[in-house]
Amino acid sequence: MSILVFVEHHGSELQKGSLGVLTKAASLGDPDVAAVLVGGGVKALAPEAAKYGASKVFVVEDDALEPPLPQPRVDALAKVIEDNGYETVLIANSVLAADVAAGLAARIDAGLNWDLVDITSDLVGKRPALQDSVFLEVGWKSTPRIALFRAGSFDASTHDTGQAQIVDVTVDYAEHSQRATVVGQELEESSGPSIEDADIIVAGGRGLGAPESFSLAEELARTLGGAVGATRAVVDAGWYPYSAQIGQTGKVVSPKLYVALGISGAIQHKVGMQTSNVIVSINKDANAPIFEFSDLGVVGDVHEIVPKLTELIKQRKS
Amino acid sequence: MTRASDYPPPFSPREFVAEPTDPADERIEVGVLIVGAGPAGLACAIRLGQLLEEHPDVAERLGEVPVAVVEKGKQPGSHLLSGAVVNPRALRRLGLRVEDMPSYGPVHDEAVYVLTRRNALRIPPPPTMRNHGNWIFSLSQLGRWLAERAEEGGAMLLPETAAEKLLVSHGRVVGVRTGDKGLNREGQPMGNAEPGSDLVAKVTVLAEGTQGHLTGVALDTFGLRGEEPQVWELGVKEVWKVPRAPRGVIHTMGWPLRTRARYREFGGSFIYGMGDDLLTIGMVVGLDYRDVELSAHDVLQELKTHPKIAKLLRGGERVQWGAKTIPSGGWYSLPKRLYAPGLLLCGDGVGMVNIPRLKGVHYAIESGRLAAESAFASLQRGATPATSLASYDDAVRSSFINDDLYEVRDMRQVFGRGFFVGGALASAMTVSKGRLDLGKMRAEPDAEQPLVRSGRGARYPTPDGKLTFDKLSSVFASGNKTRDDQPNHIRVERRVPKDVAELWVNLCPAQVYEIGTEGGDGTVTVNLAPSNCVQCGAITAKGGRLTPPEGGSGPEYTLT
Repeated sequence: MSILVFVEHHGSELQKGSLGVLTKAASLGDPDVAAVLVGGGVKALAPEAAKYGASKVFVVEDDALEPPLPQPRVDALAKVIEDNGYETVLIANSVLAADVAAGLAARIDAGLNWDLVDITSDLVGKRPALQDSVFLEVGWKSTPRIALFRAGSFDASTHDTGQAQIVDVTVDYAEHSQRATVVGQELEESSGPSIEDADIIVAGGRGLGAPESFSLAEELARTLGGAVGATRAVVDAGWYPYSAQIGQTGKVVSPKLYVALGISGAIQHKVGMQTSNVIVSINKDANAPIFEFSDLGVVGDVHEIVPKLTELIKQRKS
Repeated sequence: MTRASDYPPPFSPREFVAEPTDPADERIEVGVLIVGAGPAGLACAIRLGQLLEEHPDVAERLGEVPVAVVEKGKQPGSHLLSGAVVNPRALRRLGLRVEDMPSYGPVHDEAVYVLTRRNALRIPPPPTMRNHGNWIFSLSQLGRWLAERAEEGGAMLLPETAAEKLLVSHGRVVGVRTGDKGLNREGQPMGNAEPGSDLVAKVTVLAEGTQGHLTGVALDTFGLRGEEPQVWELGVKEVWKVPRAPRGVIHTMGWPLRTRARYREFGGSFIYGMGDDLLTIGMVVGLDYRDVELSAHDVLQELKTHPKIAKLLRGGERVQWGAKTIPSGGWYSLPKRLYAPGLLLCGDGVGMVNIPRLKGVHYAIESGRLAAESAFASLQRGATPATSLASYDDAVRSSFINDDLYEVRDMRQVFGRGFFVGGALASAMTVSKGRLDLGKMRAEPDAEQPLVRSGRGARYPTPDGKLTFDKLSSVFASGNKTRDDQPNHIRVERRVPKDVAELWVNLCPAQVYEIGTEGGDGTVTVNLAPSNCVQCGAITAKGGRLTPPEGGSGPEYTLT
């Protein structure tokens, strides 16, 4: 058995989700855990990746590959797997990684288990099903195996052996892999972390009363260093952008701390955040379903409580 | 008196009729195009497969795709919901063995109860409600099975595809245009946008089921509407996992519906086991009701609190929920003709339902089979397509579909006189095999019923999340995870008197409508959450118009 982890980067930063998967791979008890980095300037990032438990880091350094296109990455991964006989490939989900995983599975005829939240050392994956109400144990019938993990499944922690080998790889790209080009990339302006990456999320629901009241959520999020999320009801009402929607038809998040402001906790919202570590909710309706799955519930008016809470946290921090 | 029909939706059938627009070489050409992968459409596809296998020369001429079925649901069966105690007759006529299908076996026992708040009086089943020889199915499961048979027979299934417009050229239906995908709320294309395409066919069969979108458009475009307007009932049902499922089929009448004639609450419930540990419970309510607070969903919740019924559910857990309308106008509401140039109309879409017998699936299947025969005849060398398609109308009118519906033609209307009188007359009509002629009774469109308030809402139980449920968690239990940021597919007047708005809020089992701000003149705005919609069609009956959302939207039923 040997494990390869696709480590994604944006600019000069390695993606936290990928490093979490790499950390997990290193903990599975296999001595041969390798990372693969693809893009421009990734050679400089290789030592950083090595710190998360990789015994080898394959580097496919090519400036032409910096745009996040999946097909050339499929070529690169297929080459590394073929040359070195990796049987298991672990990937943290992202828009790019999902395409890479699907393409790679087809290319090397591998079984792909997706949306996993955990994996054991004997390679049994854990996948939530039926709107996260049950966990399935899934495995592979053949090699190579590919696993795609849900965002935020594992924490990244360094485990530096100091002896990682860095291997340059040259790839011949298939003709069809070079047909797509990136015309342009635009970044949505946002202050603070994105809700997929945030350790802390402050989410607002209809109980905030008016779109202006979202400033309460924003202010608290800024103070805590977190991101702002929203329920479907308020996104529908046009109070907050769709990109912040958490729930069944929005984003699925599992931060360390989830603060729910004026959110009733309909099941459509619950399935998007119920795996958060600590859930704190403030709602004036004592019968709101959210209290059934909150670690700490406060019955009260968000408009009174949140400004004071924000103030207290600021004082504590300074 | 306020009536919902005084506030018609911004909708015109003309918006949904078009000439093909794709360049000729980009159109997708098929032989027979079937809209809707339900019992009617799939029966049609299966029969066509059989006929084309026997006549390879005809198949040859139809090109690469002799038969295609478009389905708006995520997969065949996703939008199928029914009782479903099915008369297997039509399935057998299709050459299929009921024993091979996923079913819960034939009905052995049955019981009919008249309920009061606390008690249940068992009565002998009226002749119309005897189910001996019928089989218990989940229509969603049966649909998936039939879809596999249709595919084996060579039909191409196109799920997640909404048939949005009827393609008409020189007065003849030449196919459908499928809906665009990947549009945002404002109707602008997003990154993954995919425009619809023209599916061009020699014959188009509309088998869309209740409140079929293009069926409605076709009835208006070709002037086919029947003598009487169509009316509907709304069924809401739940599937429960229970420690021990009851044997046999139970029907109830009476409570929680109010039996006095002035309330016009017509309906009843059905309960039966599906195997050892699943139970189906459903409530059907006529949409000719008048109280703005009537909510079929909440009446079902109320029903479950009856001591006799709560006992059946004890220790159980709700696993699925769904809702759908049932056309109930019967014989008088059938279209004048079931065909137009290039077009055949089948099943629930044109109202082939026998309400007193609570049956429609076998009529849908039979009409699909007959449509296949006529479509096939029109494709043979030397055939006159117009005559061949017209032969479908004759075939339906000389089939058991027509006989059965004629027999009970007046039965639905008499219930407007109140449950007990209606019940007695209904039995008399059946016993006399329809010879008892009461004279035709007029049906008014459901949306024209004057709206009243009689405190209906006060009787609904507060949902406890165990036995009784709110609408939003029920939408979740339908499997609905529709993309929220797509264009709104529900047409309603957005500023109406409060009574009309409240009617819609309570009518909708899926919490799509919400009362917005007051206008100060007795009117309010109506806010919509279209992604909750389970496409039951009730809004079309009560003064709005449902159009198909992006393909793949809506519920994902598996057990209903």
